[in-house]
Amino acid sequence: MLFPKQMSEVELVVPAKDLVAVTRALSGYGIFHQVDSAHLGVEHGGPNTWQEKAASYSTLERRIQSIFQTVGLPEEYPSGAGIESMVELEAIAPEVDRVEAEVKALNDQLSEEKKRLELFESQLRQLEPIADVDVEVGVLQKSAFMHSILGIVPAANMSRLRTSLLRVPHVFFILRADAQKPVIWILGQKSNFDVLERAAKSAYLSPLSLPEEFNGTPEQITAQLRHEIDSSKGRIAAYESDLAKLGVSHKSELQKLLWDARNSRIMADAILRFGQLRHTYVVVGWTPTASVEELSARLKAASREILIETTATSRSGHHANVPVALMQNKWLKPIQELVGTYGRPSYGELDPTLLVAFTFPLLYGAMFGDLGQGLLMMVLGILAHNKIFLKGLHSLGLLFAYCGASAAVFGYLYGSIFGFEGHLVEEYLHFHFEPFWISPMESILSVLSLAIDVGIVILALSFLLGMFNNFRSRDWAHLLFGHSGVTAFLFYLCFLAVVFGGFFGSTALAPKIAVALYALPLPYTPLLIVFGVFVMFGGFFRNMVEGHTLIEGKGIGGFGMFLVQSVMDLVETGISMLSNTLSFIRVGAFAVAHGGLSLAIFALAGEEPTIGFWITIALGNVFIIGFEGLIVYIQTMRLHYYEILGKFFHGGGMQFEPLKLRPPK
Amino acid sequence: MGGVSSYAALSTRARAMYADLLTPQDISRLSDAPDLGALIGMLKNTPYGKYLAGLKEGDPTPRRVILQIRQRLAASYASIVQQAPEQTRPLVRQLFRYFEVGNLKAVLRSIHTISSWTADIAPWDRVSEVLFPMGSFSAIRAQEMVESGSVVSAVEFLRGTPYETTMSFAMKRFSAEQNLFPLEVALDLDYWRRLWGEIKHLKGKDREMGGKLIGSLLDLNNLMWAIRYKTFHQLSEEELINYTLPFGFRVKDEDVRAIAAGADIPATVSRIYPNLPDIAALLADPIAGLPQLEHLLKQQVMKQCVSTFIGDPFHIGLPLAYLLLSDFEIQDLVVLIEAKSSRLKDDAFRPLLLKTTLVQ
Repeated sequence: MLFPKQMSEVELVVPAKDLVAVTRALSGYGIFHQVDSAHLGVEHGGPNTWQEKAASYSTLERRIQSIFQTVGLPEEYPSGAGIESMVELEAIAPEVDRVEAEVKALNDQLSEEKKRLELFESQLRQLEPIADVDVEVGVLQKSAFMHSILGIVPAANMSRLRTSLLRVPHVFFILRADAQKPVIWILGQKSNFDVLERAAKSAYLSPLSLPEEFNGTPEQITAQLRHEIDSSKGRIAAYESDLAKLGVSHKSELQKLLWDARNSRIMADAILRFGQLRHTYVVVGWTPTASVEELSARLKAASREILIETTATSRSGHHANVPVALMQNKWLKPIQELVGTYGRPSYGELDPTLLVAFTFPLLYGAMFGDLGQGLLMMVLGILAHNKIFLKGLHSLGLLFAYCGASAAVFGYLYGSIFGFEGHLVEEYLHFHFEPFWISPMESILSVLSLAIDVGIVILALSFLLGMFNNFRSRDWAHLLFGHSGVTAFLFYLCFLAVVFGGFFGSTALAPKIAVALYALPLPYTPLLIVFGVFVMFGGFFRNMVEGHTLIEGKGIGGFGMFLVQSVMDLVETGISMLSNTLSFIRVGAFAVAHGGLSLAIFALAGEEPTIGFWITIALGNVFIIGFEGLIVYIQTMRLHYYEILGKFFHGGGMQFEPLKLRPPK
Repeated sequence: MGGVSSYAALSTRARAMYADLLTPQDISRLSDAPDLGALIGMLKNTPYGKYLAGLKEGDPTPRRVILQIRQRLAASYASIVQQAPEQTRPLVRQLFRYFEVGNLKAVLRSIHTISSWTADIAPWDRVSEVLFPMGSFSAIRAQEMVESGSVVSAVEFLRGTPYETTMSFAMKRFSAEQNLFPLEVALDLDYWRRLWGEIKHLKGKDREMGGKLIGSLLDLNNLMWAIRYKTFHQLSEEELINYTLPFGFRVKDEDVRAIAAGADIPATVSRIYPNLPDIAALLADPIAGLPQLEHLLKQQVMKQCVSTFIGDPFHIGLPLAYLLLSDFEIQDLVVLIEAKSSRLKDDAFRPLLLKTTLVQ
């Protein structure tokens, strides 16, 4: 659980005759992550029949998917338990052609009818501006001697348009006056149609194209069009129904064709990335070490002459090219997603999921401590997780449940239930409910100081985990002199003792851990200077351990610039340690703010327990859960991403993506 | 009294800025610069110096220098918009929008020709250098328009801007003709109609002086459009009328319609501008003559602007005249920068300069 699965590198030499069977074994069980090894072959670069095959299978798959879409069928998971093998193109292509032709004939009719409907609707829209004009537009449009132009013109151009028409006899009607887009109608002699058209076009007149097949006034044409639209919609519904029936009758056949084409395409794609030798193929990839035996057995069953070489890869050292398979645990899935948003652990790196599963609800609950609201949030989370309520938040359901449970525990410790605290519980809820531990509203400074202590513990743990990761990866330079290395950690401890224990030690906010550290008989100030020098010249020391040029970029700005950079490094480290530690004060501040917000709701509700009082309290609780709950979630996430994970978690791991003929349901 | 109190500060400032414009002698000295580097060096000792100070050492491109120089005009507009009396601000803003219309046309042209560009420079990097620096005054999202890759998508970004309605009509023609001409004409007509509309909203001296200056500028454009459409595009009478405007200071609707109907162009121009030299000889060769006529007409506008500084100073005319003169001055500097960077001979570029002792 603490680390990604151990991986083994797999190298295979496959006889050409067993190619398809071996590919099927590799692809069928979701345990083999393929590495492109085409470059290892001698045939690469030349014409490749597998490339053509893969393209053909892919085209076929798309065509079948298109049929699915046309007939409105959902793609279903294949019912059989067995893993299908590759099918010949010639075997399925004719069947696809046949079904496609049937569907296409019907679909073409449907498309044609939809176009007609679109045309009618567009014509109806065109008629809208002149719907109330009582003139037979069609008659004039079909006139043998008159040329008619009907359209919308920019209002600013209208007067110029009239001027431009002065030289030819014409009639100019404004059918609809509009400040920006008036509708006009120009009538002139047929012999002057070119002048009329040029004038209209150069005045940016946008013509209204009226249906030629309809006669009458716009009102009558509108009625005819509406009738046609209704008929067209009826025909479209009939075609769609026919298509759906066709889909149902071909359902099982289409499903089979789709999965045959898809499996064949996946296997052809995989083969494309094999290294092709004269009579054999070289295959390289990764599998979890625990699955090596299973994979070997399946491969042996597929080919008796196959050569298999597996090498387990140690987690120590750098392994950027090793895919990372994380342990799957459905209860930790939302936490894993939260960590995944920050980064995927690299191979050999500690997977922080378990730690975050503990600290995330802990910090959330500490900030949002309320027994009633916490339990409600937990129930909502469980309902969302089971897709009973708030289905859109399904993926976050468990996280809500954990945070809600933690908030409920802290609510019990803080003595808070639905915002009622202290005497309010007894006064309005009629039972006794004392804080089991501490009331944030009554011990504000203690809570803030305690929050800093919690931060120090979490940060110290993060430093230690960072060192552990560096130790495992044998990164001695960063282990000793890195930003979360040994010297930085010791600097942090001295910094805590001097700044928080010594300088602020007598204040009420002073964290107890820092004060206790300061009380130890150690020469903190000289130690702070010594470790400060290590932090300041961390880059120099790391280069020394790694055997690199001691001062990077020596030529740029010379030694002076190096010193300035080093001083800035120290200042930056100091500021970041201070801010990281103080950042946790928000945990206490939000615990206090939660009580304050509840008090504000009570102030709004009044004192008398009337219906209005209880409605206000109920709405206030909804507001607190929705609004403050979200803010606390963001704050908790921020603490993890900026203050905690950054100390020890680098991420950047490559995802384990095994070949799979059947994707997860 | 109202005019005096409203314009006391602005007119003083406009006069001070007017005094800061380059003299014909300054332009003549700049013309003597041996190359672009020397010209920039000389310009750094003029009021343009502070805008050129940001130029990096080495070899600044002419486009870069022009962009910097235009910053001065943009700053003048921003300053005058701020100080102008409330009722005249829309006019100054609309006048400034001239450059935005220019930017919009440049953006549309760039998108229309983008497929023929080499891929070594990102289209926006190339286009941004030729755009007038409008700053926060710009209503268009030029970069997103360029990056949208097509005229149709780019015009979508004009929703909610003053150009939306105009472009919605013009785009129908663009879709049918795949030519930017109808878009550009529509933008020009809309711009000038709005500008003239702003003049009509003014009263008294503001309206009179604004009308004279903007009308003169409009005359120049309207007349050049009419002549070009007739001579080079051979547009029909009705098209020409629709692509021109019926108002101005000296050029009347009758003049434009006369040109549209095929009247003698030199005679018409001579009737409008009797003091111009032999127009018939000038337009005998339209290709060479029309730019010269435009040059003369611009100088007419400049004279109109200069004359505004004589007499009653308490009206919008002074700031407008300064802004127009400043624009013409920058046109001269652009000629000089291009000439020096291309190493043109004196006689090739000096006749193109607007600011001569004739218009001082």
